Amino acid sequence: MSEKKAPFFVGYMGVPKALKSFLLKVSLLLFAGFTAGAVLAGASQDDPGQAGFRFDYGRQTLTGVLEANPYPLLYVTQGNDRVKAGHTMMLSGQGKTPIMANLAALEGNEVEISGVILKRGELDMLQVAGGKKGIKDLSKEGTIPASEPLGKWKLQGEICDGKCLAGAMNPGRGLAHKACANLCLLADIPPVFVSSQPVEGKEFLLVADPDGGPFPREMYNYVGQFLELETEIERRGDLLVLRIDPDKIKAIE
Amino acid sequence: MSVKYISVQWNSNKWKYNAIMLASVFTYLWIFIFVTPDIMSNEGRINGQVHNARAFGSCAFLMLSVILCIGPLARLDKRFLPLLYNRRHFGVMTMFVGITHAGYILNWYFAFSPSNKYEALLFSNTSYGQLSGFPFEVFGILALFCLTILAATSHDFWLKFLTPRIWKRIHYLIYAAYISVVAHVSLGILQDQQNHAFTVLFIVSALVVAVLHLLAAIHERKHGDPFPNNSDNWVEVCDVSELREGFAKITQLTQKERVAVFMHEGKLSAISNACAHQNGPLGEGKIIRCLVTCPWHGFQYDVTNGSSPAPFTEKVPTYNLKLEGSSVLVDRNANAPGTFVEPLVLQTTGAAT
Repeated sequence: MSEKKAPFFVGYMGVPKALKSFLLKVSLLLFAGFTAGAVLAGASQDDPGQAGFRFDYGRQTLTGVLEANPYPLLYVTQGNDRVKAGHTMMLSGQGKTPIMANLAALEGNEVEISGVILKRGELDMLQVAGGKKGIKDLSKEGTIPASEPLGKWKLQGEICDGKCLAGAMNPGRGLAHKACANLCLLADIPPVFVSSQPVEGKEFLLVADPDGGPFPREMYNYVGQFLELETEIERRGDLLVLRIDPDKIKAIE
Repeated sequence: MSVKYISVQWNSNKWKYNAIMLASVFTYLWIFIFVTPDIMSNEGRINGQVHNARAFGSCAFLMLSVILCIGPLARLDKRFLPLLYNRRHFGVMTMFVGITHAGYILNWYFAFSPSNKYEALLFSNTSYGQLSGFPFEVFGILALFCLTILAATSHDFWLKFLTPRIWKRIHYLIYAAYISVVAHVSLGILQDQQNHAFTVLFIVSALVVAVLHLLAAIHERKHGDPFPNNSDNWVEVCDVSELREGFAKITQLTQKERVAVFMHEGKLSAISNACAHQNGPLGEGKIIRCLVTCPWHGFQYDVTNGSSPAPFTEKVPTYNLKLEGSSVLVDRNANAPGTFVEPLVLQTTGAAT
């Protein structure tokens, strides 16, 4: 439409007749665009998979031997219907609250721990209840199972924080979740490597540094990325532990 | 029509404008939040907080895209000018939608920790040296910062207080906000997407914004106002025959200054092309009830002295005109805003009296 012929709109006056139908069409188009956009963006979100807090299990109380290095682990000696004896249960505090300080002194002791389980397939973790209800020292020295070396492996996959991955957050992995994962790792939450191929039948492996200690801070840059790495793997109870070597890791774009 | 530090005037068109925009936004959020979870055939359920954050985040992006399309659309087709009229309200809405998105993120991903959530937002990911895994949150913070400045200074008080020139420059931050949002989304959620429907929506929206700006720039270059090729004080505007009753011809005097020469009741008058309100193009307006009316917000000026009618106080500079044969010439030296200039009377032969 030529500029001179275009109807002239002044906000505080009435809308020119020639513009009414045009503006109505634009309004309807805008409304339809937002409606279609909502359906398209909302309904196309990726499936985070089945995972989450198992409040339906109720509070779980487990007895076992505590190991605090590299991360809090409970080698279950007396289980229940949900968690069998012989299972290695990863532990975390409430939310993103560190619990290492409470547990370090109990390393190697038999303890009774209660809390809520988080679960994604074979991956599980116990969020330890706060206060004295959560950890009870049985004042008895236990036996930490000897680790079994499984040799060197070349793997591809992603490092996540075990708690969000187990269902504390859905989705709980990926680059968009990286800051949250790092914050969890800073709170002593066990990091987990999600392997694209099963290792000895397991898809999830606890991550430790080359000396078997906690996940090194300088490796936080790799969290959430798809990685290829060569690593030593060992078995602790029924949990596989991966010793990550900063020199043998690369990000795959 | 004018501002004297009074609240933004409301009229039925503004109510309708806001109603349409709000209806679109509420419908988007309602469908995303309440309808789509039942449409998805996912095995697992996305956390409510994450789902809501995505609803508000994607809505803010779409709103920002629409806002940025309005300007070039209005340049390309004047029928879109009414959308420009109340765009600021839509911008303020966008800020609130963006803040809600940020609130969900902060109170979910950065909560449940002994650390302060605002500090955690800044220190939990510091991988600034890499593209994959870059702390994309900083771009979100930057975008929200820009949107907040724009919303906080959107009222006409700030326009008057800062002057239209500075206000306009500040409001170019909308582009910084949009680029930040594009980076925020590209380095964030898009990195993890397996289903690419949102990726397509995102890319198409950003492309539409970019292409419209490009088309508007080309249009401006093709149909822009002529630039004088001499350094004389008197600059040729057009031939008398090109002028139409009630409308203007615009001529560029300097890089920043344009003049609008109007024909009113057979006489010629020239005023600055920049409206005192938001630098709107007065020459693209028309004379209504003897007053030059700005096409953006309807501010009005007496064409002979560049002053708004009482009780309003806005004034724009005026210019002296003369005829040489049938050519209209304007003196490039502007008169002080509000200066009366006797209109140039045209005789039937085309000579001035």
